[in-house]
Formats: sequence, structure tokens, C-alpha cells
Amino acid sequence: MQIPIERYQLDNGMKVVLSEDHTTPVVALNLWYNVGSRNERPGHTGLAHLFEHMMFQGTVNVPDTGHIAHVERVGGSLNASTWLDRTNYYETVPSDRLELILWLESDRLGWFVPALTQEKLDNQRDVVKNERRQRVDNQPYGDWDERLQMLVYPPDHPYHHSVIGSMDDLDAASLDDVRDFFRTYYAPNNGVLTLCGDFDRDEAKRLIERYFGPIPRGPDIPPIPGRTVVEPLKLGREVRETRRGGVPLPRVYLAWRIPVYGADDYYVGDVATELLAGGKSARMYRSLIRERRLARGVAAFLLPVVTGASALIARGNVPAGDDPAVLERAMRDEVRRLADGEIDAAEVERAVTGIEARHVFDLQKVSERADQLSQLTTFFDDPGLINTELDRYRAVTAEDVRRFAREYLGDDNLVVLTYEPGDAAEVAS
Amino acid sequence: MSAWSEGGAATGALDRGAVPPRGPLRPYRFPGVHRRRLANGMSLLVAEIRNFPVVTVDMVLDAGGLAEPPELAGIAPITSALLESGAGGMDADAIAERVDGLGLSLDAGVSWDTGQVGFTCLRGRLDAGFELTADLLRRPTFPEREVERVRDERLTTIQQRRGTPSTLVDEAEGRWIFAPGLAFARSLGGLARTVEGLGRDDVVAFHARRYRPSAATLVAAGDASVDEIQALAERWFGDWEGRAEPVPAAEVRPRLDRTTIVVFDRPGSVQSEIRVGHVGIERTAPDYFAVMVLNSILGGTFSSRMNLNLRERLGYTYGASSSFASRRRPGLFSMSTAVQTEVTAHSVSEMLRELRELRESPVTGAELEDARNFLAGVFPIGLQTTDGLAGKLSTIATYGLPDDYYQHYRDGLLSVTAADVQDAAQRRLWPERAAVIIAGDAEKIRGELEALDVGPVEMGSMEELEA
Repeated sequence: MQIPIERYQLDNGMKVVLSEDHTTPVVALNLWYNVGSRNERPGHTGLAHLFEHMMFQGTVNVPDTGHIAHVERVGGSLNASTWLDRTNYYETVPSDRLELILWLESDRLGWFVPALTQEKLDNQRDVVKNERRQRVDNQPYGDWDERLQMLVYPPDHPYHHSVIGSMDDLDAASLDDVRDFFRTYYAPNNGVLTLCGDFDRDEAKRLIERYFGPIPRGPDIPPIPGRTVVEPLKLGREVRETRRGGVPLPRVYLAWRIPVYGADDYYVGDVATELLAGGKSARMYRSLIRERRLARGVAAFLLPVVTGASALIARGNVPAGDDPAVLERAMRDEVRRLADGEIDAAEVERAVTGIEARHVFDLQKVSERADQLSQLTTFFDDPGLINTELDRYRAVTAEDVRRFAREYLGDDNLVVLTYEPGDAAEVAS
Repeated sequence: MSAWSEGGAATGALDRGAVPPRGPLRPYRFPGVHRRRLANGMSLLVAEIRNFPVVTVDMVLDAGGLAEPPELAGIAPITSALLESGAGGMDADAIAERVDGLGLSLDAGVSWDTGQVGFTCLRGRLDAGFELTADLLRRPTFPEREVERVRDERLTTIQQRRGTPSTLVDEAEGRWIFAPGLAFARSLGGLARTVEGLGRDDVVAFHARRYRPSAATLVAAGDASVDEIQALAERWFGDWEGRAEPVPAAEVRPRLDRTTIVVFDRPGSVQSEIRVGHVGIERTAPDYFAVMVLNSILGGTFSSRMNLNLRERLGYTYGASSSFASRRRPGLFSMSTAVQTEVTAHSVSEMLRELRELRESPVTGAELEDARNFLAGVFPIGLQTTDGLAGKLSTIATYGLPDDYYQHYRDGLLSVTAADVQDAAQRRLWPERAAVIIAGDAEKIRGELEALDVGPVEMGSMEELEA
């Protein structure tokens, strides 16, 4: 299986990736801007995400909420998301509507600022504060990623704070902050535009030039604020936090700093998470859920981030009435056995097979393909990795995993975050 | 301040104020659906899409929540979950190693109407996938220890669900919409008191009665022909025997005769989770398409009335939506949102007002056209994957829809009129007898809810969810 790729750059610096597929008459557009919560200055947390909301509030040519209405009324789906390293905007529409979405996406890149109003900002600030209430403050375990980021990354590192930001910073955001953010980060030379699906490449290139070509290059992107290196990569100790109250049952999170997405060891780390909790044959599922019944659900995953350090995270739900310390010990034992014990080559092969199969299943959707192409271009300037990234997984050996676990998954590089039911929030370290 | 970001400077010949024209239209055609039948009564429904070397196979059985004896509520999902715990001479570890070694995405689950077991695989693993699925379906061993484990996990899930505001109100909504004792009044996973009592014998008996070829349809979608699928089905299921008794039709009666507000107290809550619901429609209702269009206008899209009002106009919420859960028998209609505590009562009154307005005045031409085009347009987006396509085949099988149903699906949506929508609203929306379920800080919201004067305000309790 080979995904066809054509890439080029507009004169204004915007990178473009095209991948044709005429199976279904739909086309996906995906636009990554190389800006996320890591770019926020102190006192301005949540601004990148609040800004993403503002990008739906209209332009000179498209009224407030008109962007979404235009796409929905032609039978398209769309959304956007903000993350630590990036912000992305995407839509999938019937293929005869390609020009519509190029118009909409280019309009909010070129004609956004003059349409800003205080009223729009106040409204979206309320929406985002409610998003925070819904996802974080009124949700059991809702602040787990916020807490882990604070514990895994040093205070002056750009990943130390969460994407959603604090209520105080959201309240403080002004119209000038939004304008400045736009002028600093939203420029064709800071974006990757990908089209995937049913289009004619010559026609698509003509339309992309027509809509995005006239938008001038912006100024150079300023460096990421704070200290972007994580040095030493390993914490050098164990860090603990316990949260009490607001949850029905206890839960344990473990996290270790590991190399960033794109490093060889990141792929080894991905295989390690598969061995730990990838499927029902994985070690934590087999041992902690099925055999010993110490957990009611386990998961392990990596944060695919590229600034300084990434993280390997494992999560376990504690059965009612049990002591979370017991599950924590058992999870740590499983990780230690990766470092010290036998790893079967067949086990590694199973893990890679799973990764490979999911990769192919995911790529059936044009929107998923477009997202991956934008990501690989933004981070590594190489969309072709979509066809070769699996080779990096296939190269991983049992010995690599053992070495990785010894190197990074030790007690001297560990964050433990525990949730317990109770009356009051309490922090212990 | 750069010139271009202030607008207009670089437009050239392009009129940026005009909506661009459509490009050449390439019509979407739903893949042909092929039907076969094996001698043992098992049906096959197959559709080909060949852009990726991937196939999804699903066995659809009359083994859903409605097939459960009421005192054994929860037995259907437990039986389904246990199929992987031992079968065909393999223990749970051996099955898991086989599944993961083949890279199968194995799926076993239940809805009210069906139990489904199946997998998505790379084309080359199709035969092995069939072999494994045949073991799970036909030769499960249900080890005692695994029965206990899965039962305990279900009890944990029930506890987690009731400790989470959004899932708590979801469960309570069914309880206040449907008359006590009816299946739809409880949650699909069963109640703590029924699940606690389930044992291996119950699982074995449920499997023996319900996992039978006479009541099974095997659906397959992806990179395989109908002849290939038939040959595999004959090989792995051709000698499977047995008949399932028909599942009795679920009784459906509303519980409430007037709008009633039920508050689950969560002191200190910064938000209120709100559901407004009542009895909805069955999947085969003659006005199904009109109801889909109606729902799209009410709360089915970002641009819907509910979301534009509660989120974009008022800024009360991160999102508001509505849905009809259509089953063989009328399921529930539900409006859903989470709002900041102070505006709870006003949000409820706005939601009820939306219902009344849809009943009283016709939708606009633009709303109608947008909703129809939205539903018709997003339809193919969901069908790019073998999994999505197999889901449509399952719907055909479960609800006895004609094999060419999805060939005409978009036409059905596009022919809905404003009068159809208003008829549907008058029949299907009940603002005067809705269940309003709220999880939030009772001390802060109760007074204003009473002042709304839309109906009695009661306090909900966890005990009532088990009653």
C-alpha cells in the first residue's frame, strides 16, 4: 500500500501536500499551523485555543458562524483542534465543494482581523470557559493531563501548562492579544495545507493558487518562549501527587520522560506501550486485569510532541475498595519486567502487527490521511514518511525495548499521579 | 499592522464576497448489496469496496438487550464480553495472542436489538479471522473465573457511570421517560442488583438460546467478493445448527403525563448536565426521514437552533445537541447540554421553547434545505471505511430494511418538505410531557427551576436508578 503524494510550496511560503484518491466523491482539507499552547507567554495560557475558537467567528467576507454553516449546508463535516505543538483546521466535503472550503480557509487567513469584535471575543471566552468546566472541572479525573504536564515538565518549559489554560488567563485575554497572536503566528509561511481525496490535481493547484497565493508571507515566527530543552531528559527522581475528591473510584497514572516524536527511541517507546497495554495479550492486561484482577482497565500511550521531551504514560483504574498503592506497585513491576526480564521476539512482532494494522485501518479515511500528511510535513518537512514510518517500527527488536525500558522507564524518571475518592482536594508530595 | 490582514489588498480579480461555485458533481453510489443464505438459515449481506486491502466481518445476532429476561438484565453484554475468555480449546490468553498476532480489530458488543461479534482485518487474514470468530461464537467455554471477573468489571462500570455527571443523567433519563418495569427504563448494561446475581449457568443458557444461525446475519464489507465471503461462511459456519426463538417486541409506554424536572444533587458542581427527553421513534417509522431532518434543524449540527442559541448567542455552554435513538421499537428522544450553574433554569426554559416553536411554526425554506443537504452530503463521508459500510449492512439486517435501502437513502432525505417536518414535530415532540434530568448543585438551581413553573421539581436518588 502506497499513499500517492505530491508536495510543493507557494511563493508566500505555504507548504502544500496533495494526495488524490477517487474512490469516494469526497475531499478532505487539512491545514496545520505550527503554533500551539507551547507558544503562549506566561499569563496568556489558553490563548492559542481561544484563538482557534475565534477563527470560526467570521471574516470580512464570511459572517460570524458562517464558516460552519457554509460547510454543513453542503453536507460537510469540520472542526479544529489545538494542541501543545500545533493548531489544525479541517473539513471533509462532497468533492464538488472543494472551492468553497479553499475560499473559507483562505478567507480566515487573509481577512480575519478587521472582522474581530469585543462581543465575539466575550462570547467565545464564555464558550471556552464552559469547555473547561465540562472537560476538566466538572469531569472526574478531568485535570489529569494538566496535572501530569505540570509534573513531567519543568516550570519554565512550554509544555508545563495545559492547552485549555487557566480561567484567570482566559478572563484576562484582550482583543489586542487575539490580534497580536494572529499577526505573529497565522501566516502562510507557518502553515501546511493538505488536500486528500477526490480532486483533479491541476485544478486543485490552480484553485489553491487563486485563493491562498495572494496572501503575503508574514514575518518570521518568534522563538518558543521559555526553556525548550529538557535537560537532563530524565527527571533524576520520583515525583508524586495525590488528588482527593470528585472521583467515583481511585485511578493511577504513571509517566516517564522519553525522547521526542521522530527520534528512533520514540518508536521503540511506542512498541513498549503496545507490549504493556496495546491489546488483550499485552502484559498489563493479562497480568493486572485477567490474572490478578488488580485493575479494571489499563492503557498506555505516548505523547507525540517534538519540543524537548515526550512522555510515556500508563493508566490503571482501581477496583472499588482496593488500595491504589497495590495497583501502582503492580504497574511498576510490569514496567520493571520489561527492563529486566525476557521479551519474546514473537511478542514484539505481535505489537508491530497491531500498529501496522491500525495504521492501514485509519488511513481508509481521507481526513485521517490528510491529518497525518500535515503532521509529518509540519514536524519533519516530509509527508512521504506516511509510507515509510512503519519501517521504523519493523526495525525495533526485543533488545531495543529492553534497553529503552532500562534507560527511560526507571524509578529515577517517574511521575506518579493518583486520584482517590474523598471529600476535599488535597495535594501531597 | 500589515495591509493584507486588514483585507482587500490582494484580492485581484477574485470577488471574495461571493460564495464560490460548485465544481463538477460526481454522484455517490452506495455499493451493491449482495444477499445469500446458507442451508442452516444464516443470511449473508455483502458489499465490496476495494480501495484498501481491508475487510470488516460482523455476525449480527438476536442477542441484544431486549433478548434478556428482565431479572437477568445485563446478561447480553456479559455474554458477549465473555466470548473472548475461552473458546475452541484456547484459553483467554491464547485467544488474545491470536487476535493480536493477526492484527485483528475484534469487536464484540450489544445494542438493544442485537449482539454483534466481528472483526476488521487486512485482507490476507480473512480466513484466520473467520476461523477465530467461528470458535468464539460456536465453541465458547465461559470459564467460571472469567465470568466472575467480567461481572465485577460490569459492576465497576455501573459505579463509574453513576459517579460521572454526563453518564448519570443519561441513565436517569431512560428511567424517567419509560414506564417502570419496561426494558428501556433501565440502562443497557443492566442494574447493579441484576448483574450481581448473574452466574455461569445464566451465561451458558443465554448463549445457547440466542447465538443461533437461524437468527444470525453475517455482514461483510471491503476487499472481498460475495463468492469469497460465501465460501468462507460455508466453511466455518455451514454446519452450525440450531434455532433461536423470536425475541418478543418490547413494550413501550411513557412514564410521565406532564413535564417533570428531576435534580441529582452534586454540591459544588460548576456546571449542570441537562437532558430533556421523551419517547422517540422506531427505526422503521414512516416519517423517519422527516424526523432526521427535524433533528438536524433542532440540535443535530453545529448550526442547529439549540447550539446557535445556547452556545453562540448566550455563551452558556460548550455545546448543545439533540438525537433520536431509533430502535425496533420507539427509543428515546434526547436534548443534551452542560451549562454553567447560574444559567441552568434559563437553559431548560430555552430548550422547552425550542420544542414548542418547532411544533407551532413551520421551519424556513433555508433551514429545510440546509438540513436535507447536510444529511445527504455527510452520508458518503461515513462510508469510506469497511467498518462504516458494514454498519449500514447491519442496519439493513437488524431492521428488515430492503437490500437497496441505502441506494435510495439520499433521495428519501432530499424529498422531505417543510410540511413533513412540522407534521413530524407535532407528532414527535412533547414539550408538555418531557423528563428534564439535571445533575448539578441543587441548592443553587432548585429555586429557579421551581420558578420556571413548567412542572414539579423532584430530587433524584441513586436508589431510584436501581428500583
